[in-house]
Amino acid sequence: MSEVGQTTPTVVAGGVSGPPAAGTGSTRPLLEISDLRMYFPITQGILISRHVGDVRAVDGISLSIQKGETVGLVGESGCGKSTVGRTILRLYRPTAGRIVFDGKDITTAEGSSLRAVRRRMQMIFQDPYASLNPRMTAAGIVSEPLEIHGVGEKSERHQRVRDLLATVGLDPSYGDRFPHEFSGGQRQRIGVARALALHPDLIVADEPISALDVSIQAQIINLLERLQSEFGLTYLFIAHDLSVVRHISDRIAVMYLGRIVETAGSRELYERPLHPYTVALLSAVPIPDPAVEGRRRRIILSGDVPSPSDPPSGCHFHTRCWLRERLGNPERCVAEDPALRTLAGGHEVACHFAEEVDGSAEQVQVTGRTPVSGAPAAGPAPAPAGSGPTPAAPAVPISPSAPAGPPPRPGREG
Amino acid sequence: MSLLSVSDLVVQFRTHDGTVYAVNGVSFDLDEGETLGLVGESGCGKSVTNLALMRLLPKPAGHIDGGKVIFEGQDLLTLDESEMRDIRGKEIAMIFQDPMTSLNPVLTVEEQMVETIRAHRRVSKSVAKARAVELLGMVGIPQPEARLKNYPHQFSGGMRQRVMIAMALALEPKLLIADEPTTALDVTIQAQVLELLSRLAAEHGTAVILITHDLGVVAGMTQRINVMYAGYVVEAAGTRDLFARPRHPYTIGLMHSIPRLDAQPGEPLIPIEGVPPDLRQAPVGCPFAPRCAWRLDRCWTEMPTLDPIDPGREFVATGPQATHRAACWNPPTAEEAVAARPLRPGFEPAPPPEEVRS
Repeated sequence: MSEVGQTTPTVVAGGVSGPPAAGTGSTRPLLEISDLRMYFPITQGILISRHVGDVRAVDGISLSIQKGETVGLVGESGCGKSTVGRTILRLYRPTAGRIVFDGKDITTAEGSSLRAVRRRMQMIFQDPYASLNPRMTAAGIVSEPLEIHGVGEKSERHQRVRDLLATVGLDPSYGDRFPHEFSGGQRQRIGVARALALHPDLIVADEPISALDVSIQAQIINLLERLQSEFGLTYLFIAHDLSVVRHISDRIAVMYLGRIVETAGSRELYERPLHPYTVALLSAVPIPDPAVEGRRRRIILSGDVPSPSDPPSGCHFHTRCWLRERLGNPERCVAEDPALRTLAGGHEVACHFAEEVDGSAEQVQVTGRTPVSGAPAAGPAPAPAGSGPTPAAPAVPISPSAPAGPPPRPGREG
Repeated sequence: MSLLSVSDLVVQFRTHDGTVYAVNGVSFDLDEGETLGLVGESGCGKSVTNLALMRLLPKPAGHIDGGKVIFEGQDLLTLDESEMRDIRGKEIAMIFQDPMTSLNPVLTVEEQMVETIRAHRRVSKSVAKARAVELLGMVGIPQPEARLKNYPHQFSGGMRQRVMIAMALALEPKLLIADEPTTALDVTIQAQVLELLSRLAAEHGTAVILITHDLGVVAGMTQRINVMYAGYVVEAAGTRDLFARPRHPYTIGLMHSIPRLDAQPGEPLIPIEGVPPDLRQAPVGCPFAPRCAWRLDRCWTEMPTLDPIDPGREFVATGPQATHRAACWNPPTAEEAVAARPLRPGFEPAPPPEEVRS
């Protein structure tokens, strides 16, 4: 698919720019992507294939991830979240934009320079059944990255594989078993061990628990959290489940139809969502508590997500937006692309009318927390519903703690 | 008299690998218009229970090896195939997780809906078609008349599930079995479909059995819940009661192992250790014992019965006030349910007996 990536505004040949990773105390993000676009061509014709359009899977997103941070990327199927993860790992060649990993522009890196970077970023996949070679043993799967990158002697690799299996909670003697002899959760542990093999800095986890049974999911979440504090890992955690993403992430980026519509600290995003889509998404997540569910009112979005090959003009969300309807369908949403604006506390939102969301009855409905099951929540008391939109309230954090950076993560036992 | 009464249902699959003990004596009642949730993980027997009562178990492996399924006074397990075909669709309808595999891909929606209606009602094609248009409109499909001419692949996932719901309700069944109806859907589409399902069930007075692994979905949708594990109902209660005071270690474990959107940040998850049981082993003792922190010696050898947790009260089988029952020899206390671990000083889970260990 090399014909896709012709236009790259900032090309740095060989992919070396900036100084090598020396200054550990710097605030330079580990990963920085800017205006990333990944279009997949749609072609027609059998003998002569004509380029008739593009699926705009990723349509201009910018995101930076600090070392040691967990950033959650959340959205519904088809919003482009997996494509973002794969493009970052350079499994695709981006159509446009820039990917900078640890100060190095890897947007167009190839060959050995790409391989050198790939060592430092690894992926955990969704399906532990499809992502492990059924003809290789667990030990073979975990040691393959070591062999490819020529790490150590055979005996050293053998020991490293045993250590890795133990690290992810598998008995090292299971190394000579094949994937089908393991349960789903155990297979996902093998996938995690493989991702850890080369001591990566960044791990992209693409829906790592959604194929697992409910009682097993927490085991894997806790494992990922433990490994992060043990090895100082940085995660890009891609998932559709907001509850899981909120649990594991320091910061969350919400995607809709190829774009990031809102980015905020995970606590802030839940307590003060500012994009109408985020509010609707939060309201749609069922909460396992009948008392809470009885009180909640969902914002039912009409219709389906439009096709990414022909996204709506202006704001991609305007065709389903409850706020636009409320405001009398302003023309601006159709005509003008909302830029991702930064409000106080590093809260970014791409909506012309985000100020109208703040304090709206919908926002209060979704975030108004009340004490649940014996554990009184420290959240604010829900404001009276139906209060008019607070006019352009300067972004004052509702809660006293609006973390600017990643909060310290307590080590958690499994 | 309740609409449906299942008692001691036993289902086994005879496979090349030996017998799979899928359902090991499940009993429950359902009233007209009531919504019951069956909750559990894959392999717990929740889907097999319902396939068995629809008599749709895969042949030749699936066998009903005992029990009764009394629906409106008759035992469905004794009916012959043609009598059963009369009940399916007309009295009991079913919707499945994946609407793409349960709709026929080579027939238009119109052909499938008209066929369904005319299989049970002696009406002309045009009457059946008019009914199909009405039904598609009822489930919120825009331009129903035009969409009738479409094939299933021309609908999105959420729309396909709406078509399934329209077909399931075409004959106004008394009971609708919804097997993971929204698992394949995105969360905003799930919200649409669940809202539709509960509104239509309430309007038509349809009883619903909602099968799901998602505690959030049952919390908002059901009046009563049966929690299943390894082919047993391990806890049964009204929905509010179950969430307010879970009493089976498995239910407690499930509730603590899922992150809640409204949880306090930094609240750790408490996973259920171990793995779900291998159903090819004949059940001995409580199936949850190997993963249970409260287990006693007898848990390894004796399956507890599903008994009321407050004995002495009058027994109520159905409705939101149903008697709270749990199958546990050593039920956790309220404080232990909150902490998700035994709090009794010096308590250690009983080690497996010799014959299990080997």
